[in-house]
Amino acid sequence: MNFKKKIAGVLLATMCAALFAGCGGDTKSADTASGKKVQIEYWHVASESFGGQTVKELVKDFNEKHPDIEVVEKYNPDMYKGLTQNLQAAIASGKNPDVVQMGWSFLNYAAENLKYQDINQSFESAKDPNFLKDNFLPNVLALAQTDDGKQIGVPYSISVPVLYYNPEIFKAAGLDPANPPKTWDEVKAAAKQIKDNTGNMGFFMQEYADNWTQQAIIESNGGSMLKKENGKTLAGFDTPEAAEAYQLLADMVQEGTGLHATNEEGFQAYLSGKLGMVCTTIGKRANFEKSAKFEVMAAPFPKFEGKELKVPAGGNFLMIFSNDDAKKAAAVEFIKYLESPEALLKWSTGTGYLPPRKGVENDPNGFKKLVDTNKNVQVALSLMPNLVPWASFPGANGLQAEQLLIDARDIILSGKESAAQALHETAEKINSLM
Amino acid sequence: MEKNKWHAFLFLLPSIFFFVVFSYWPLLQNLYLSFFSWNMVSPNMTFVGIENYTAVLGSEELIKILANTVVFVAIMLVLNFVLPYLFSFVLGHLIERGKGFYRSTLFMPATLSLAVASILFLWIYNPLAGPLSIVLSWFDLESPRWFKENWLVIFAICTIIGWKVFGYNLIVMLAAMLAVPKEMIEAAKLENASNWQIFKQIIVPMTSSTAIYVFTITVVFGLQYVLVPVNMLTQGGPDQGSSNLVYIIYQYAFVFFQTGKSAAFAIITMICYIAFLLFRTKYLEKKVYYEN
Repeated sequence: MNFKKKIAGVLLATMCAALFAGCGGDTKSADTASGKKVQIEYWHVASESFGGQTVKELVKDFNEKHPDIEVVEKYNPDMYKGLTQNLQAAIASGKNPDVVQMGWSFLNYAAENLKYQDINQSFESAKDPNFLKDNFLPNVLALAQTDDGKQIGVPYSISVPVLYYNPEIFKAAGLDPANPPKTWDEVKAAAKQIKDNTGNMGFFMQEYADNWTQQAIIESNGGSMLKKENGKTLAGFDTPEAAEAYQLLADMVQEGTGLHATNEEGFQAYLSGKLGMVCTTIGKRANFEKSAKFEVMAAPFPKFEGKELKVPAGGNFLMIFSNDDAKKAAAVEFIKYLESPEALLKWSTGTGYLPPRKGVENDPNGFKKLVDTNKNVQVALSLMPNLVPWASFPGANGLQAEQLLIDARDIILSGKESAAQALHETAEKINSLM
Repeated sequence: MEKNKWHAFLFLLPSIFFFVVFSYWPLLQNLYLSFFSWNMVSPNMTFVGIENYTAVLGSEELIKILANTVVFVAIMLVLNFVLPYLFSFVLGHLIERGKGFYRSTLFMPATLSLAVASILFLWIYNPLAGPLSIVLSWFDLESPRWFKENWLVIFAICTIIGWKVFGYNLIVMLAAMLAVPKEMIEAAKLENASNWQIFKQIIVPMTSSTAIYVFTITVVFGLQYVLVPVNMLTQGGPDQGSSNLVYIIYQYAFVFFQTGKSAAFAIITMICYIAFLLFRTKYLEKKVYYEN
């Protein structure tokens, strides 16, 4: 009996110990500034397979060059969603990080809900008030501005949608790989020619759980995703221009020249040489080039004849959350380092993102090496003047609105309803949520 | 007697502790959340009463989601309950050679994770480059868009679950089949009973306790397994064609950040589960034969 009791006691104790072991030991203080050394925290979303090594390299290099500053990098899992959650908790407890990567589609959320440092003022107090104006294109700077023009961060990582194609399929279909389609009418014709002459599928536009490339085609046809009415943001895509652009995609699917499938299926089909053209992010470049058995070639995102091309920017920008002046100055210094041509080259090579600064592509120490050796990067860079902000629906139902638009994509591409009808119904649903 | 009770309670304590901490407390917490509007990060939670429930019960999507869930369960019952049942009878009593081979081959997929299975099947079902589309092209058939058509998508996802779960259920059923006394079957054979008669008159009643276990886990676990392939491959699409009671909870909480509605869906799901288990205990359990 006694023995059994002991066993039970021991078991219980081990269970409790195991349970509570996970709860302690997280009290590493950030304020161990020895002497004058300023310690700042850099929060990012770069996992090991997507630039994580590069972040560590950059931070190490910066710390060696700046003996008075120590940057500590912290990886946040689950992309910007996860980072924002952690950030909110950190700010609530007063343990602000200093420099933070924020996703473009979280811009409205960050501006409305987080207490950040004014970027222009931070650079002014660091005695470098013209850094942003001198180094960035105005349309790129505007990406990190709120609706009322307030600069809340510094653009850092940029991706654009491009048109990848398979030159071997092009040749087999009698198309010229050196002269890929430039307009959507040409894309449609090329897709048909590929289908007719080779039997392969012609075209696929990415179907991620967002509407990024769909925004690009709608806005390039003169449509828009959002509109403002009496200070309220509403769905702006219930227009003939938006419907016409979307219908073009649906028609390709109906004719059997366009593919409607999950994103990964589309990419698999392209990489295994069964699909002529794929419209997706330049961020897939390195992965495509490595996985395909043919030479992966990219063309700029196609236009509509006589209309201005508009491509939404993907990626992230940097925000400052420091709560004292010494840290703020160190944060500015660190951002200037991250935005230097050498650092941007490393970052771009490690991730596939484009550099946001103007002139970097011609810098012999920087991006020029990559640009000169890779034509696909040149193509992506040529789209920089056409960048527009990635539209995001504001408010508590914003993410649900995004999903409704994804559902509409399935309805349109499967031919269940015409683009005009589906976009109209979706706009009404979204407006009732806003 | 009193002392014994005290001891019994002591031994139950660890599991009661874990049940309370990890099952009942979250359940209460979930009930609490279902009366608030909250986005999981904001410091302000707004009390909205039963608004979340009225919104969920009055929404168009609820019908679609309930219908999808029923179809999911029906297909999974065929793939993971009826088929293993028949296979285990064949393996246990009808064939003599290659038993070990079948047993291990059919069980193997159960050891792989569902995430791996999802990626595998994504490739198999690829409408342009997948092996299935190549086989179909031999017969001049065009591969359907498995993950982009209503209903078909549910079938495709169920086959992924089936691939993983089939083997385990088969082994469990087989154990029950083998526990049926051989003499009984030999005797029946002497009486010239057909295989079907043996199955119906001897096997079904003798294995009913295991069968009801497999039936229950097929429904209860099956619906939870569905989350992995749906989240990885379709995100509930096309146009909510593969959404179901379990995925919608996840979607509202961790994609839309609307914990209130998510919690309301969770409570509704729990009520469905309770109804299922009551039905099971009340009607099915009575017909079950327990040896001891």
